[in-house]
Amino acid sequence: MAYRHFEFIEKHAWTLGILTAVMVSLGGLAEITPLFVQAHSVKPPANVKPYDPLRLAGRDVYVREGCYLCHSQMIRALRFETQRYGHFSTAEESLYDRPFQWGSKRTGPDLARVGGKYSDEWQRAHLLDPRAVVPQSNMPAYPWLATASVDGTDIAARMRTLRTLGDPYSDADIGGAAKAVQGKTDLDALVAYLQGLGIANEPQPAQTAGTSPVPIEESSP
Amino acid sequence: MSSGWSWWVIGLIIFNLGLTFFLFLWAPRAKVPVLPDGTTGHVWAHGVLREGMHRLPRWWIVISFAMYLLAVGYFVLYPGFGDRKGTLDWSSAKELATDTAANATKLDALLKRLGAMSVEAVAADPEARKLGARLFSDNCAACHGAAGHGNPLLGAPDLTDNDWLYGGTGQDITTSIQGGRAGVMPPWNALGEPVVKNLAQYVLSLSGQPHDAAAAAAGEPLFKTTCIACHGAEGKGNPLLGAPDLTDKIWLYGGTPAAIETTIRDGRHGQMPAWSPRLSDPDIHVLAGYVYHLSHRGNAAAQ
Repeated sequence: MAYRHFEFIEKHAWTLGILTAVMVSLGGLAEITPLFVQAHSVKPPANVKPYDPLRLAGRDVYVREGCYLCHSQMIRALRFETQRYGHFSTAEESLYDRPFQWGSKRTGPDLARVGGKYSDEWQRAHLLDPRAVVPQSNMPAYPWLATASVDGTDIAARMRTLRTLGDPYSDADIGGAAKAVQGKTDLDALVAYLQGLGIANEPQPAQTAGTSPVPIEESSP
Repeated sequence: MSSGWSWWVIGLIIFNLGLTFFLFLWAPRAKVPVLPDGTTGHVWAHGVLREGMHRLPRWWIVISFAMYLLAVGYFVLYPGFGDRKGTLDWSSAKELATDTAANATKLDALLKRLGAMSVEAVAADPEARKLGARLFSDNCAACHGAAGHGNPLLGAPDLTDNDWLYGGTGQDITTSIQGGRAGVMPPWNALGEPVVKNLAQYVLSLSGQPHDAAAAAAGEPLFKTTCIACHGAEGKGNPLLGAPDLTDKIWLYGGTPAAIETTIRDGRHGQMPAWSPRLSDPDIHVLAGYVYHLSHRGNAAAQ
């Protein structure tokens, strides 16, 4: 290759732009495309179940209120994280989260395994007025959650949508959704969601005897 | 990763590194046509600005090539080149296991020493208290408060007053932490509001607080037939059920007439979660020692 080829690239803006884009995208092509395609091959372990109607409603409240802006749901494979929060998070655990709630900002603590850490009563008191239980907390209060009720027909519609995307909801699940959330408030739903986080899907040593679990950042490929 | 995607990644890496390597070989030797005045002929602003021609400095080439070699070295040592695991066989899960084991070794001697001691003795150990304080603020402070003074909103008891719902020995505290506790005061609203008010007045009289004597007397027979099942004939409570002593000045949910009426009318179901297996047994042992210490600080100072 002679200098004139490079001179050609240098003097033709479109050629330069296209070739620059090619070089810049190499990293993404190598790191993102395989994950993008292989994500569909992640299979749910037996203990990872789709959300029941109330928890699904709670998850939507979680997203609506922007909880992910301050709380992550991804325990990294670092000793000072696993010691505080429990087993590191794995990709399969978020299989039924659309979109996943891993987050990247921790103004508050990680919530990936907060289920059962506090009582329901604590969660309620804390959501309605965080300072009532943690005086030094800077979390906003969410008093309106106690008065807003969950819409049952809406939840059934959401479950049908999720079934289209591949979540294994049965007709009975969807049919019973409206009844399951009847009379429940957004607060009930959010507490149910939080109290379910991580309690059933922590990787067990027995279950992972053959294939040891891998943290999200290095699971597939 | 399937072998197809593995080769895809390998191909992209080889293309990228190969192209970069070619530039290292070619750029320093490239023959660039230069005008007699030493410029390349590119001009701006009607010839006021002209592009000069200089070789790449040697230091720049050396540093860039060092980084290039680091990239190659990385692919040899660490995972990343397709599905090769790298000669170090590194993974973040393995590094975590190593770090956790190293930390366990560091704590092993201390936890073994503390494990052989009673909770009461652990409470007096300064090293254990340091460890316990960390565990407490991370797990217990949300309900019991940073200083352990409890929270009447939740019925989380004050841990510093040496008044215990379920017993205050080291063993009792350990059991409470391991299995959690659940309050079982039923709601008595079916009795009707006047009866609830009378009972509340009688409960106030038990601890010698100002009360309506007539209402208390009206409430007494019902207390003596119903409430004594848990709170005892004298209202002194029962640690087996976690029924509080009603004759002292300590109130879980507040000792005002209104608070007592609410307690009787709606019942109370204060809940302490179980901390096994969220916390390991040695951790709970240390934590129980710290909680014991919270309520015996006066004694510890005297010793």
